[in-house]
Amino acid sequence: MEKRSRLDLLQGTLDLLILRTLQSGDAMHGWAISERIRQVSENVLQANQGSLYPALHRLEHQGWIEAEWGVSELGRRARFYRLTASGRRQFQREAVHWTRVAGAIGKVLELA
Amino acid sequence: MTLGDLVLRLRALMFRARVEQELDDEVEFHLAMARRKHLDAGHSEEDAARLARLDFGRVGSVKEDCRGVRGINLFETALQDIRYALRSFRRSPGFVLTAAGTIALGLGLNLALFTLFNAYVLRPISIRDPYSLYGFTWTDHQGRGHAFSWEEYQQLEKDNTAFSDVAAVQYVYTRVDGHVIQGQLVTGNYFQMLGITSELGRPLLPEDGSAPGREAVIVLSYQAWQSMFGGRPDIIGTKVMVRGFPMEVVGVARKGFQDISEVPRDFWAPLTMAGRLQDGPDLFGSDHPERLDIVGRLRPGHSVSGAKAILTTWSRRITAQLPEDRKAAGILLRSKATSMPLTPELLIMFSPLAVAFVLVLVLACTNVASMMLARAVARQREIGIRLSLGALRRRLIRQLLTESILLTIPAAILGFIISRVTIDASIRVMFATVPQDMLELIHDVPRPVDWRVVAFMVFAALASALLFGLAPAFQATHANVMSSVHGEVTSDLRPVRVRNGLVIAQITVCTLLLVACGVLVRTTMAMSAFDVGFRTASVIAMEVAASSRRPVMDALASDPEVDTIAAASAIPLNGAVATVIIRADDGPTISTAYNDVSPEYFGILGIRILRGRNFTKQESASETPVVILSAATAQSLFAGREAVGQILHLSGKPARDVRVIGIAADIVTCCIPWGKDPALVYLPTTTATSANVLVRVRGEVEAVRRRLDMRLAALAPGAIGDIHSLDQYRAAGMYAFRAASMIGAALGGLALFLTLTGIYGVVSYFVTQRTKEIGIRVALGATTRTVVGLVLTQSLRLTAIGIGLGVGLALGVSRMLASNLVFMRGFDAAAFAAGVSLVASSALAAGYVPSRRAARINPIQTLRYD
Repeated sequence: MEKRSRLDLLQGTLDLLILRTLQSGDAMHGWAISERIRQVSENVLQANQGSLYPALHRLEHQGWIEAEWGVSELGRRARFYRLTASGRRQFQREAVHWTRVAGAIGKVLELA
Repeated sequence: MTLGDLVLRLRALMFRARVEQELDDEVEFHLAMARRKHLDAGHSEEDAARLARLDFGRVGSVKEDCRGVRGINLFETALQDIRYALRSFRRSPGFVLTAAGTIALGLGLNLALFTLFNAYVLRPISIRDPYSLYGFTWTDHQGRGHAFSWEEYQQLEKDNTAFSDVAAVQYVYTRVDGHVIQGQLVTGNYFQMLGITSELGRPLLPEDGSAPGREAVIVLSYQAWQSMFGGRPDIIGTKVMVRGFPMEVVGVARKGFQDISEVPRDFWAPLTMAGRLQDGPDLFGSDHPERLDIVGRLRPGHSVSGAKAILTTWSRRITAQLPEDRKAAGILLRSKATSMPLTPELLIMFSPLAVAFVLVLVLACTNVASMMLARAVARQREIGIRLSLGALRRRLIRQLLTESILLTIPAAILGFIISRVTIDASIRVMFATVPQDMLELIHDVPRPVDWRVVAFMVFAALASALLFGLAPAFQATHANVMSSVHGEVTSDLRPVRVRNGLVIAQITVCTLLLVACGVLVRTTMAMSAFDVGFRTASVIAMEVAASSRRPVMDALASDPEVDTIAAASAIPLNGAVATVIIRADDGPTISTAYNDVSPEYFGILGIRILRGRNFTKQESASETPVVILSAATAQSLFAGREAVGQILHLSGKPARDVRVIGIAADIVTCCIPWGKDPALVYLPTTTATSANVLVRVRGEVEAVRRRLDMRLAALAPGAIGDIHSLDQYRAAGMYAFRAASMIGAALGGLALFLTLTGIYGVVSYFVTQRTKEIGIRVALGATTRTVVGLVLTQSLRLTAIGIGLGVGLALGVSRMLASNLVFMRGFDAAAFAAGVSLVASSALAAGYVPSRRAARINPIQTLRYD
């Protein structure tokens, strides 16, 4: 809780990325999510993969994603995450918001 | 917080190990996958593992963040604190025992007081919907309540006011085998209205009270059935003699119900039996006597203020035709939900007691606070190290407070035991010391440990934990990190100030309690020794039923041990006396107590007629309009002028003019705590018509009283109501003060003990702290006397401040109380001196022992420590 203010932006971004990744509808485990984000973000989010997990747990607590133990493609036990209905709605809201903010920041940067 | 979130949190809380394992597994899976990726990319096994960890970041902190998400950190750190506190308790069991024991003492006493308060004042009596039940009366311009006539009750019932159900009740009593049996005459709807079922047989029903003269039936209380009839199951149908009249027992009320009045009742009978069970004009006759109390159930949805408005209007309307002094000015609506109504007067009476009890708890807390402070200082180094390692001060305070709260758990348990023992013991003491005749008036209500008691206990325990834990916790964590790590514990310490403050507070409270207790004891002594203005010895007062007055009087007149017989409408020292409004022609109008007496009254009690003369036999018999005034009354009516021969106007039923024929010496007719009657007039009557009779007897009073009681009961069953010696009346009136003195003495003793141990502890600690300094002083040639002086000066300075503050407070308190009590002086020098010298000498003694130890400090040994 205490570190929240400093990480707000980063956290929000990460949350959004996770929700976007799970948007496809398939259940994915943490490693798969992290790999997908890395590929899509062209390696921007490579270091500190660990920070993915607190974010996943937080989203789970908020009810936007749900988790279930299953067997991974290589036959190991892994925790699979799936988007819930409310998570889907949340993503849509956040995505709109994010686009607007990003657009605004872009404009500000252009002006500068 | 959503439901899903709550479920997850609960899961984390309850299946902590499993959730932790899952987190480990999840992280491990990720690392395994990462290693695999790096292996596939051509790295060595070792490099792959290293790179995987590098990408992941610090595993520990990731896991910690995940745990943070679960939001049960607070709980877990609390667990840690508890474990830590328990470890440190294990290292110092002596401290735990003393601290818990001290707090338990204070908690236990307060819990005992609260349990009793709860049982009588807070806990609803077990009847249906107790909170909608109210006693109702209207008041006249002087604020006096009104007793209702049968017609007024019927009117109230018919007018269908704020009450959905309204019952009329009247108190009656009789005596069987020397025991007072108290009963309630009730309207037929009473039991249904209260929802009281019967243990045996049936309750009273509306049919029972439908018309005067219906069959004589009675319902016994469970208690009376047990104690008077041994719980006989065949009691139903038997006849019981009440005031010499046979009544059929139709039922036994369910266990635990002893009526809703302040004094327990042994039986209930239909109000229609009033004529048989009681003297005086017929309740249903043409005199319309006003004798009934009204109890009503508020209509559902009616607020109390709404009901008040309706009933005020109703009362005004009903009394509109009456003379001014009998008109309703206001009304009283009193909740019947608990044994005693929670009124402002009750709170005012109760609060000094409550304050005294709470002060004892405060004393106990300051004692423990001193101990905690000493302990915190001893742990200064540990705390300093933890602070310097980056522990948050907040966190440390929380930890120290956890210790305090944990300490209150054994204290609360022990306190609970102490409270039960105290209650049992005080009830035993009460039964052993209370005058016999008062026993029957004591309502023994159940004293269960209900939620209110538990809530009070938890609250008191937590409050005391804060009281004794907060200051030491803040103080201890205030350390200078550098110096404490270096072991310089004493140099930078400020707890001295806090601890001195604690000692001063203790002595202040102790002085206050002891002085107050001294004042109370001396007031009680003054009252006991007070000259009531007449001889109480060898006089027995009895109440005689009108129907049997003749045979009783004959029996008394012929009794060899009875010397003189006198009549009086008010038995002196009985605690009640009627009043009348009186006016002199060119003097003031005053309200005065009055007593209808026969001429023998003054002789039997040895009351001197100061001027004028006594009533003659003839004046008594014809109730001639003459009056004897008490000296004080004469003074306030005629202010020095000759009163004898003057005419006075008496208002009341009937209003009449009376001539003053004599002035009698002042006495106490009502109650000792109020002193001699400020105004009292005597009117003539005879033993043939008076309800109360006084007899002066020869021989041992109590033996004669018993014999007379038996003899008269055999002669005319139910003829005699109360029969007591005047000394018994006196003792009964004094009991409340004696009881208060006993409680005060017990509290004072406890306070003194706590203060003694407190001072002893603090001075001992002070000596230990300054061992090095004292050692150096001794090495430099300080004598025993100077060392003792050094230590004692310290404690005496605090004592002096504390006593000063305590005396100031006590002065204020006794001023306040003195304005209400005739016998209490605003400044009782003896009580103050006694209290102060007791506290001072105890403080001296408590300081002296450790100071001797200081004087024996061996300088070589102490200095070698460094």
